[in-house]
Amino acid sequence: MQKLRIRLARMTPGQIALTAVMAVVFTWFVLALLVLPLINLLRTVFFTETGFSFETFEKLLKSKKAMNSLKNSFILAPTLSVTVGFVGISLVLITEYFDIKGAKILRLGYLTTLIYGGVTLVSGYKFIYGSNGILTTALRQVFPDMDINWFQGYWAVLFVMTFSCTSNHMIFLRNAMRSVDFQTVEAARNMGAGQGYILRRVVLPVLLPSLFAVTILTFITGLCAMSAPMLVGGTGFQTINPMIHDFANMTTTSAKSLAAVLSLVLGLASMILLAIMTAIERRGHYMSVSKVKTKITKQKIANPVVNVLVHIYAYVLFVIYVIPVVMIVLFSFSDTQHIQMRSLDFRTFSLENYRTLLSSVSAYKPFLTSIIYSVTAAVVVGLMVVLACRFIQKRRDSISANVLEYSLMLPWLLPTTMIALSLMLAFNQPRWYMFNRPLIGTLILLLFGYVIIKLPFTMRMTKAAFFSLDNALEDASRNMGAGEFYTFRRVIFPVILPTVMAIAALNFNGLLIDYDMSAFLYHPTTPTLGVKIKSLTEDMGTNPNGMALTFVYAVLMMIISAVVLYLVYGRGGKDNIKE
Amino acid sequence: MKKIFALLLTFAMVLSVAMMPAMAEEAKGADVKGTGVELTVYTNSGSSGRAEWLTERAAQDGYKLTIVEEGAGAVQQRLINEGDATPCDVVFGLNAIIWNDLISRGIIEAIDAPSWAEEVTAGLNDPNGYYYAIVKQAILLAYDTNQVSPEEAPTDWPDLWEKEEFWGKYESQIKLTGGTTRNVLAGILTRYVDENGELGISDEGWAAIEAFFAHGTPVEDGVDLYAQIANPDSPVLMGQMWSSGADQYDETYGTKTGYAVPEIGIPYAVEGVALVSTSKNKEEAKRFIEWFGSAQIQGEWSEEFKTMPANELAADKAPASQVEMCSIPAQDIDWALVAANIDAWCEKIMLEYMQ
Repeated sequence: MQKLRIRLARMTPGQIALTAVMAVVFTWFVLALLVLPLINLLRTVFFTETGFSFETFEKLLKSKKAMNSLKNSFILAPTLSVTVGFVGISLVLITEYFDIKGAKILRLGYLTTLIYGGVTLVSGYKFIYGSNGILTTALRQVFPDMDINWFQGYWAVLFVMTFSCTSNHMIFLRNAMRSVDFQTVEAARNMGAGQGYILRRVVLPVLLPSLFAVTILTFITGLCAMSAPMLVGGTGFQTINPMIHDFANMTTTSAKSLAAVLSLVLGLASMILLAIMTAIERRGHYMSVSKVKTKITKQKIANPVVNVLVHIYAYVLFVIYVIPVVMIVLFSFSDTQHIQMRSLDFRTFSLENYRTLLSSVSAYKPFLTSIIYSVTAAVVVGLMVVLACRFIQKRRDSISANVLEYSLMLPWLLPTTMIALSLMLAFNQPRWYMFNRPLIGTLILLLFGYVIIKLPFTMRMTKAAFFSLDNALEDASRNMGAGEFYTFRRVIFPVILPTVMAIAALNFNGLLIDYDMSAFLYHPTTPTLGVKIKSLTEDMGTNPNGMALTFVYAVLMMIISAVVLYLVYGRGGKDNIKE
Repeated sequence: MKKIFALLLTFAMVLSVAMMPAMAEEAKGADVKGTGVELTVYTNSGSSGRAEWLTERAAQDGYKLTIVEEGAGAVQQRLINEGDATPCDVVFGLNAIIWNDLISRGIIEAIDAPSWAEEVTAGLNDPNGYYYAIVKQAILLAYDTNQVSPEEAPTDWPDLWEKEEFWGKYESQIKLTGGTTRNVLAGILTRYVDENGELGISDEGWAAIEAFFAHGTPVEDGVDLYAQIANPDSPVLMGQMWSSGADQYDETYGTKTGYAVPEIGIPYAVEGVALVSTSKNKEEAKRFIEWFGSAQIQGEWSEEFKTMPANELAADKAPASQVEMCSIPAQDIDWALVAANIDAWCEKIMLEYMQ
């Protein structure tokens, strides 16, 4: 109380009013859109008329398939964290640290994971390694007896996901790499440190906070793996998320409670990991101590043999990254039959798919809908999280800051499908906390949904940016007499802006193709892109060209995503941070 | 002047509203015109230009439709989750399992039989007047006659797991939310109804389902049945298919569909039309149902989309192949029982039997 009074006494009336308004808005948002719908959902699924039911747990423990899938998810997540970590770090070193010939081209190749994902991406891999894929066909010429289904199971899933989950490394780890101070590197070298030693003791410590953050993301991605196990896992390696998805889409309460229990297991695992990582992070702030940073000069690898090997490695990675994208673009000109058989035949190429899509009005309206929703949601999430992070940074370790931080992470507890369900069940009737208006059939409901699912990721990455801020900047601004708001607006915000923009771009790209949230919450008259694409793929049998059209959509989406990334990130990417 | 005009206008409107029921009583079927009240229609049968075609065709007769098109399960989910707040007035498409679920939840409302109800094949309309049939889809066990001769082919579903020669050669599903899949499962499980069995099915029935899933080749996600059949490297030669899909796939893949004709009959997915009980535009919705199910409109629909109308007066508009497939006798299935249990059945299968 005492503290609060002192704090209030320091603020102007305007600041007090602003803080109060923000407190009310955040409290309302967290309670009305995150906590209450969640409680409402859990109550519906776990409590029958006779009270709490354990039946769900029994069913799951008895099910071999559920237990196996769960086990597989928990095998995949940690191994994926290691492999993605390794590949991710090497990508950053190749493009930012070492002097590699053609690094610019390589970087573009490595960035391709930012413009596509999910089923499209895995299909791209199947076009190469699958039973009819170009690599398999080529290998078969040499080894006629080989098993054409060799690309299946755990290793296939791990392979696909290792190379498709490095997006966050390419953005956030790369940003961190750019804040490595070259003078320290030079100093270390002058004192006789070798390249390996410098890498380990000078460069890596600076990367650690970002590495922690992206590793959590990788771990969660691994736990919640969906498309890759479904498409290349075979019967031997299925994970739990597809099962959750199917149960959540069934209408009975018992199926929904199965989905809820399974997703809570995943959610709790993520939360525990998050807490551990946060604790480690608190113990030490691994920051560059240098106040006057010098940009890094790329290091030539001294050992010629190693140099050649690294070059080979870099280009092999490039090929692995780029070919799936090329395949998808090529197949978008082909017809459904050949896409389905995954056999490439240039004689089938035509512009017909593109013509069909672009000539029908109802085909491009979903683009517009999704773009508007995604932009709005990305901006809203960005603003909310920046404000929240500023609060958390200032009141570090206070209860209110911790509560706010973990509340905004809540959506990580449940998969998107369940969150969508909770919103739907909560707002299909008037609720006092939603001003007594049902939200079903309104356009804003989906926006809320989009904002919610992007909160945890945005929160985690923005916080990392805030925490790597140099406090000296803020102190200097204060000492020169700048007010709090002025300091934030003119000193802090510009520094974190590149990261905030990058996150917004990633959020936009992710939402653009969202299906899980949209499927539940979209307004009947304005379907989103994800919904449209899904209806095309399920439309086979009635629309012979459905499958081909989804590839055209995928290609158009890649173009949009690439343009967005370029505008936000690529152009200023050379130097957004004024040093 | 303005006042007089407004008065006249009001008068005209009152008159037209007053006369409307009188007109509806006289007109029948496709002659019942819409009044321009906006209707929201949910359907799973709106793809490949169906939604656009219907919107346009209905507009010619004065109906203003907003059609929301998604998968059958999604339509069902949406209606359940939206509850009383749903903007939906009319639902069409779906299948008997979902219809019975919607009835038990009070989501659709029984209406007086439209004039065309008697023209529909007997047994397809809901006996209590909740939904009326419009399109028939035969649920087939299909194969390609270029690769499997009718003599070698299975004659009924149990052949697949009882005869070793079919093991690994048919597709078993990995997702049990689809309408066709659920019809197939219903067709198999209802042969083993046993009040004392688990979930109303005898042990024998569960053993059959277990064998069905154990000996199938699981669906490769994103690849459809006919792509597998046409692929010489794939072991899959047969699987489930709905009748209008069979024609379409034959066209795409150059296959020639053959199908099992079981003695017990086959399940039919009956697409129907029904009024949503929370609709605020019930009069217009009923007019639309009267119009939509008529032999005239259903015949035009059949011609356009090559499906089998439930309305017998429109049957001559359907392609011969559809007429043939849909002439297989219907299996005797207690759809209310299926609707009440299908989710629990699928849950058990997913947890215990799926590969």
